[in-house]
Amino acid sequence: MAKKLRYGDYLGAVRHRQRKLSYNAVVAHTRLSPRKTKLRPLDLYRLLGPYIGVRFAEQLMAVVPLASFLVLFQFGVLNSEVHGWESIALGMMAVICGLMLFMEGVKRGLMPFSENIGYTMPGKFSTPRVLGVAFVLGFMATLAEPAIGALKAAGSLVSRDGTPYLHLLLNERSDLLVLAVGFGVGLAVLAGMLRFIYGWSLKSLIISTLVPALSMTLFFSMDSRLEPIIGLAWDCGAITTGPVTVPLVLAIGIGVSAATSAEDNPLSGFGIVTLASLFPPIAVMSLGLALSFGDFPVLETAANIAAAPAWYESSPFDDIIAALRAILPLTLFLWLVQYWWLKEPVKEGKVLVYGITLAVMGMMLFNVGLDYGLTPLGSQAGGMVPAAFAPYPAIQDSPLYPYWTGIGIALLFALLLGFGATVAEPALNAMGVTVQNLTDGAFTKKLLIRAVAVGVGLGVALGVAKVIFAIPIVLLLIPAYLLTLALTVISSEEYVNLAWDSAGVTTGPVTVPLVLALGLGLGKAVGAQDGFGILAMASVGPILSVLVTGLWIRWRVKSNRMAIERINRR
Amino acid sequence: MNEEIIVLTDVVLITVIVQRGAADTVVRAAQKAGAQGATIFYARGTGVRQRHLGILGVAVNSEKEVVYIVASSDQADRIFEQVFVAAKLDTPGMGMIYMTHLEKMATHVPHDLITRISDHE
Repeated sequence: MAKKLRYGDYLGAVRHRQRKLSYNAVVAHTRLSPRKTKLRPLDLYRLLGPYIGVRFAEQLMAVVPLASFLVLFQFGVLNSEVHGWESIALGMMAVICGLMLFMEGVKRGLMPFSENIGYTMPGKFSTPRVLGVAFVLGFMATLAEPAIGALKAAGSLVSRDGTPYLHLLLNERSDLLVLAVGFGVGLAVLAGMLRFIYGWSLKSLIISTLVPALSMTLFFSMDSRLEPIIGLAWDCGAITTGPVTVPLVLAIGIGVSAATSAEDNPLSGFGIVTLASLFPPIAVMSLGLALSFGDFPVLETAANIAAAPAWYESSPFDDIIAALRAILPLTLFLWLVQYWWLKEPVKEGKVLVYGITLAVMGMMLFNVGLDYGLTPLGSQAGGMVPAAFAPYPAIQDSPLYPYWTGIGIALLFALLLGFGATVAEPALNAMGVTVQNLTDGAFTKKLLIRAVAVGVGLGVALGVAKVIFAIPIVLLLIPAYLLTLALTVISSEEYVNLAWDSAGVTTGPVTVPLVLALGLGLGKAVGAQDGFGILAMASVGPILSVLVTGLWIRWRVKSNRMAIERINRR
Repeated sequence: MNEEIIVLTDVVLITVIVQRGAADTVVRAAQKAGAQGATIFYARGTGVRQRHLGILGVAVNSEKEVVYIVASSDQADRIFEQVFVAAKLDTPGMGMIYMTHLEKMATHVPHDLITRISDHE
């Protein structure tokens, strides 16, 4: 017999209880006794869970694929295990958490300043003052760049013999090196601003900076003591364009370009990034030149190393101090400009403090992670690669493969590493969407990502080949850049903008330290003079590949049109 | 003869304002409770985030999604409850939901359905 159930009873059982409360009463009550909301632990979990989860996952996606590729390669192809994997794993965790905190901190603490300054400054300041602020901002943003720490970490991997100036620049005088790079970026931002104000084309700017940079490179290659600096100098260009400099500088650049130029070109905000990867090599080479003229006591510094490091120079403390030194001056400068000169009130002070605190903490964690995670992993993988083709004491029955097969494996490894790191880069994805819209779908997002990734992959492979065969970097750099020069001249302005900026986008804070350490480890293992230059090749690669793709698209569009005309004529 | 328009009565509009990205949860819950569909648009808003949460406010996205759900008045209460629970609206900063009576609405109503209902009455 069917059981009967009243529909009302069913609803009553299913339903939540509702209690009516007049909103008037609520408002009157809160007005009488205002109080702070009490949060249950459940509320905290609900609020913070997604907030942290999304940001953590973002960094996890950037780090894990690359790191696991390196580990798998060591494991599967080279038959060796990762030494000290516990500390490397912890270091990787520190990198992920550090980047998460840092990026959120920059977004909350630094970006509001930068956007505000960019918008209001051109209206209130005279041109020289705008340029001054732009220069200092570029300079200081570079010091805050997380990947810059990788340079210092890499310094310990460089041997003193044979490359005295390189060693000097990376160890005793690493502060000078960082200053030179910052100076280069500052100048680049300055040139970028001038470009907005006077409407110069990027093409002519690129050509006029590339020519002196290449002639300096050529000059350096004549001198055996200066020659090793070339790789480092060009690598510095790739390092600077990271997650702090790019958004900060772009925010100011877009503000200034909106205020100064009549035409509204959405691509004009770019270009500064390009210059920021060309000026630092010139600055670093100039520094090297200055050091070689000045009589620096290159060999006497050996005594300093023997002395025990003071407490502030040993592990976690130096990271903390480095983080504070990187972030606080930048913040102070931004605050000064906004509060003192622009007389703009600082909104949401609490959130700003929170952001800056996060940025400092993130930077510390990232630096620690760099020392224990990224650098050892990269240098280990790099150091093991030669076992594929040459006798290597640490690995049994090495060489594991016949010579040319081994070389092929090493190069394939480099190619895949560059390709994979680029495809995973979130900034490139965002750029792809912009490009697709700007070119009316002629240059699709997929095509851009593939073009850039192939360029980076080939670049990394070439760089690795350079280290293995000890090819002088000049022989690779000069022809590559001459080719880009030629292609730049015949390409249209939009594709020049696009191609040169794609080089800056690809070298993020995870890729740079890994590839740097990889190159140095590899260089050490094969007994090369220095392992720099891989990043330099990885940033010229995408420029070439994107320019070529751009030309191909133009040619295809043109030949399509001609074919249609031919059909119409018949 | 002029064309006849079928005008529906006993219609309720449920509006849900949630953080950007949470609309899918809302729509899923609403459909499970019997809603036909939903309209989502993007918005930006302020409220509890600034006033009550203090520094915790950074965890709440100021970009919002507004979901419109049009439902029959019989179903409305059920949908209202289900969405409230699914979107966790009892946590500060998560958003709000409200319900208004609509005077009338019109849309496509299947023809055979109309004749069937008319016969029934």
